[in-house]
Amino acid sequence: MAVSKTEIEKLAKLAKLSFSDEELERFTAEFDAIIAFADTINQSIEGGTEQIRSIGARMVPFETLRPDEVVPSLPSDKILSNVEGYNGFFGLERSKK
Amino acid sequence: MRTGISELASKLRKREISAVELTKTYIDAIEKLNPTLNAYVHLTFDTALKAAEKADQMLKEGDAPLLCGIPMALKDNICTDGLLTTCCSKILEGFKPYYDATVWEKLKAQGAVLMGKTNMDEFAMGSTSETSCYGAPLNPINTAYVTGGSSGGSAAVVCADLAVYSLGSDTGGSIRQPASFCGVIGLKPTYGAVSRYGLIAYGSSLDQIGPVTSSVKDAAIVFDAIKGGDKRDQTSVDYDYGDSLAERLDRDIKGMRIGVAEEFFDGINPEIKYKIMEAIALFEKNGAIIENIRLPALKIALPVYYIIACAEASSNLGRYDGIRYGYRASSYTSIEDMIVKTRSEGFGDEVKRRIMLGTYVLSSGYYDAYYKKACLIREEINREFDAVFEKCDALIAPTAPNTAFPLNHKVTSPVEIYLSDICTVPVNIAGIPAISIPCGKDSKGLPIGMQIIGKKFDEATVLQMAYFYEQNSGIDVGVYEGGARA
Repeated sequence: MAVSKTEIEKLAKLAKLSFSDEELERFTAEFDAIIAFADTINQSIEGGTEQIRSIGARMVPFETLRPDEVVPSLPSDKILSNVEGYNGFFGLERSKK
Repeated sequence: MRTGISELASKLRKREISAVELTKTYIDAIEKLNPTLNAYVHLTFDTALKAAEKADQMLKEGDAPLLCGIPMALKDNICTDGLLTTCCSKILEGFKPYYDATVWEKLKAQGAVLMGKTNMDEFAMGSTSETSCYGAPLNPINTAYVTGGSSGGSAAVVCADLAVYSLGSDTGGSIRQPASFCGVIGLKPTYGAVSRYGLIAYGSSLDQIGPVTSSVKDAAIVFDAIKGGDKRDQTSVDYDYGDSLAERLDRDIKGMRIGVAEEFFDGINPEIKYKIMEAIALFEKNGAIIENIRLPALKIALPVYYIIACAEASSNLGRYDGIRYGYRASSYTSIEDMIVKTRSEGFGDEVKRRIMLGTYVLSSGYYDAYYKKACLIREEINREFDAVFEKCDALIAPTAPNTAFPLNHKVTSPVEIYLSDICTVPVNIAGIPAISIPCGKDSKGLPIGMQIIGKKFDEATVLQMAYFYEQNSGIDVGVYEGGARA
């Protein structure tokens, strides 16, 4: 199945990525090959795909889940220690003048 | 043969060598070889020497654990408190975690000496380690070739003896394939056997941490040290393995049933097939029973893997927004623009491709056709393995369909590189353990790896078979010229 440039642009928006025109050309061509590869899961396997369709995803009963308890976590100042210039808030460039 | 961990530990206990002296020997070797091999991307010599001094104190006080004072390395996606952990990606430039991964916490408590963080494919996405933002590591066996990936640096440091052992991570073969390319041993444990807490996530239902070593016994020793349940990783299991696996390697293989599936040999380089068949013959000659088995769903395991892994990756990598970690774009017009620019500038092409594929297979209209179907086929693959293990103790297969690629190997499509994972991904899909062990070289002198695959939580059989092969085949990792134990 061929993927159009418009579809790639839509996907990029969903994935929060952007591509230059030249990158878009290349990515679209590469993506076509990747989707053709992913499509091979639709080829038949011995035993038939009907058998596969009949297998349901295993459901985990709600009762078997652990209780939802609040436990100590990492301190927020440590968690945010990699944020440049963090001072109780995230500093970003002003985007509206 | 190289001095193994047990022998080094014995020398350290007898004070024939101190941990500081041993560490300095490794520093010398790393300074000599790493500028060429590019196997380490972050060196931690200062903390290594301090850890070695502490190890010497532990050794002096007696009752030190086996790994005390032994120089080792970690893949750059395993979190180390206060030490750079970048996944070899520009987007994690300068990132220093504020906690240790459970595996590192366990090894540190044993007195392990960390020499540095090893090179890898960006976010563990690749089969050659060439997607690293630091450039590719070179294969110590022949520097014109790649190390394999994604744990290429972890395999190279062990091959060149720049660490006694290392840890890698394996989502679709990332420990076993580079181990095969570099002629060392790589163990991918059962999913859940080792805590993933502190491993930067790629495909969370597939990722597993494991050791890369120069002998099977060393692999067992390191696995003994890192395995076990962890309440911080809800997918980990506190499985009772009984006594130390390293103490139970000797096993008579007579009567053991070994499965050989033709699907693993489709499209394999004939030289590799020949060496694997030779190895199988050695097991048979010593009394193992060879069973020809079928695993039909394996022929679509590779796209199933890429769909599931990329779907999970597209979600896991959503957190890199330029706010909380590493790199941030320098100019932008809105917060949305800042996030998009940061991600577009910070991620490399292969990571972008996989995020895009993952987004595609999870998007409305394609979810059922790709992701849901891949999950259903995953169950079928699991069922096939379960059925096979009803009559077999383990399987033997090649680790990779080819030996190491030349550096900068040109491909017409990324899919060509994905095909090199064909023998390893079924193991991750099924969550079972497997080891790669050297079984000879091809006509170019490049190592060939054999994979031994076991039942869930039966690392004991996998290691015992590998140990048998290592002891009886005459194939040995050997001493590396210029390495620390040369």
